[in-house]
Amino acid sequence: MNNSHISDTNKVCIIGAGPAGLAAAWELSKNRIPARVFETLSVPGGIARTEVHQGFRADLGGHRFFTRIPMLNDLWQEILGDDFLLRPRLSRILYRNKFYNYPLQIRNVLSNMGIIEASLCVLSYLRVKMFPPEEIITFEDWITARFGSRLFKMFFKTYTEKVWGIPCASISADWAAQRIKNLSLREAVKNALMNQAGLDRKTSVTSLIEQFHYPRLGPGMMWETLAERLTESGCQVEFGSEVISINHQDNRIVSLTSRRNGTDVTCPVGACISSMPLSELVFSMNPAPPDEVLNAARGLGYRDYIAVNLIIDESRIFPDNWIYVHDPEVELGRIQNYKNWSPEMVPVPGKTVLGLEYFHFETDPEWNWEDERLIERGKEELNKLGIAKTARVESGWVTRVPKAYPVYDSRYKDCLAVIRNYLEGFENLQAIGRNGTHRYNNMDHSMLSGIYAASNILGENINLWDVNTEEEYHETVDASLEEAVELVLNKIDPTAAGAGAAVTLGLFMSLLTLFTLYLGDESTKYTLSLLANYFYGYSVSWSGSAVILLESGLAGFLGGSVFAWMRNTIMRIIIS
Amino acid sequence: MTNKNAYLSAAARLQKMTMCVTFAVIGGSLVFLVTAVLLLKGGESVGPHLALLGQYFPGYTVSWPGSLVGFFWGALLGGILGFIFGSVYNKVIDLKTNNTHLQ
Repeated sequence: MNNSHISDTNKVCIIGAGPAGLAAAWELSKNRIPARVFETLSVPGGIARTEVHQGFRADLGGHRFFTRIPMLNDLWQEILGDDFLLRPRLSRILYRNKFYNYPLQIRNVLSNMGIIEASLCVLSYLRVKMFPPEEIITFEDWITARFGSRLFKMFFKTYTEKVWGIPCASISADWAAQRIKNLSLREAVKNALMNQAGLDRKTSVTSLIEQFHYPRLGPGMMWETLAERLTESGCQVEFGSEVISINHQDNRIVSLTSRRNGTDVTCPVGACISSMPLSELVFSMNPAPPDEVLNAARGLGYRDYIAVNLIIDESRIFPDNWIYVHDPEVELGRIQNYKNWSPEMVPVPGKTVLGLEYFHFETDPEWNWEDERLIERGKEELNKLGIAKTARVESGWVTRVPKAYPVYDSRYKDCLAVIRNYLEGFENLQAIGRNGTHRYNNMDHSMLSGIYAASNILGENINLWDVNTEEEYHETVDASLEEAVELVLNKIDPTAAGAGAAVTLGLFMSLLTLFTLYLGDESTKYTLSLLANYFYGYSVSWSGSAVILLESGLAGFLGGSVFAWMRNTIMRIIIS
Repeated sequence: MTNKNAYLSAAARLQKMTMCVTFAVIGGSLVFLVTAVLLLKGGESVGPHLALLGQYFPGYTVSWPGSLVGFFWGALLGGILGFIFGSVYNKVIDLKTNNTHLQ
């Protein structure tokens, strides 16, 4: 977008007061451009908001504040200061009534799986490494090629299918490539080895970060504070205001029509930044786009989400921030323990609030169930899993989150290309955020896209569709560090090993000779002198001790170096 | 020190105590096993050459009680050698890392 086409920067309208929209408004406000923000809900944060019920707070799924973008870390710190807590992360996988530590720990995995199952997993892994698939198209292909089919079935299949509601063979490999890039068995083993060796955890991959920041009162605290500051700086943040029509003319957005308390209001627009779901953006365009674009918008899939939050009369249920529930016997996908995210999420000591996450489509019958029925199901499943007894559950509340996740199915790329091509035809319209770009961003990249959109209005020329599209997922470690870690793990230094063996063996043999000389026993001296068959010029004498110091030292050096080289080679073969 | 060098120097190290224990177990087991094998094979004169170890290991004989004494001495010697090996190895790594820094 070229800023020369913005006729009136005072009329920058932002659709959505989620992380992306608020970040865009914040960036503009820093440059004294007061934006007008339209938000359908009554609170800011979008799908990263915090729900409050009788003083108990619940996140919508657990939002870690973690980024490798210093600018965003600074922004978060600036907004919340001391209210921005650093929290430890503990998350485990619950599968067949056993908890698997995540990040994986070899001892824990072996003790849970048993040696036979673990061996079968290794064989399955080796099989796929020896006979890799020719094409990697689906999520199932992607994971199986990295972990083997047995681990795929154990740790990925059921949970992924719960989350997405479609078979893994129907999910694009792009999703895995974006979300869990660099997480492979090698990474997991490497991580486990490094943890056991006590090495720095900074080398861990994306999903394995062990600490994260979290606002004292949940993510909502961040968005509420940000919205308040924006209002103080002259921005208009209108809650309960739904944009129903985006009116355009001559390749420009000219006005927005919003509905608030049943009243429709149209306001002129100089520039428009939209974080509303991409399909809704297309359907809101007035005049309507061509059929091809409308069909593409219909082709974009979303996964919806129901949070069942239960208040439980127990002070401590489990130590994790969250637990992945891989058991296929229950519908439950994940359990959040918000007290472990921040103690102040629970106002009453001795109580706990658990967030039970169910992944559905809006078309599923469960979506329309009464709240009480959903709560009952949650209680039963918690009981079944042995997490909390039904009787200890005091009350609960339900939150339905439509379009929580953009789906990366086999059609989405083509649909996205059509829509993107259409939207790029507008000079003063920018799409940002997770749903706004149909990209499975975390909060940081959503906010970054908002900041970039504001920067474009201020004269930059940044392609927002490229945010978070780099090959390497942003939370993974940088390549040079990866190489270093790989070198480290694969390598016993041959020179050092040779030197160690040379000194050890040389000293040992030399001292043995001298000690034997000191003892003076002829039989022992004779037996030891047989070493002359191997060490030229050796005898049990002072000079012999010098000879064997040198010669056995040399032999030790050769032996140690060869051992290290062989060990390194074998390790490379095993983990490559 | 760059991150890369830090990781290289940190990871290339051997834990001296681990080496000590490993070598101790190997050394002790080796003496015990070679003694046990000769005892199990039996014969008129059991292990005349191995008995010479008694010159170095006080109390050692080619017998079952002696195999336990041998295990102790073998482990002690192995532990010392393991410690020396680990120390020298780490020293060489230190030297190599320092050279890298100078470059």
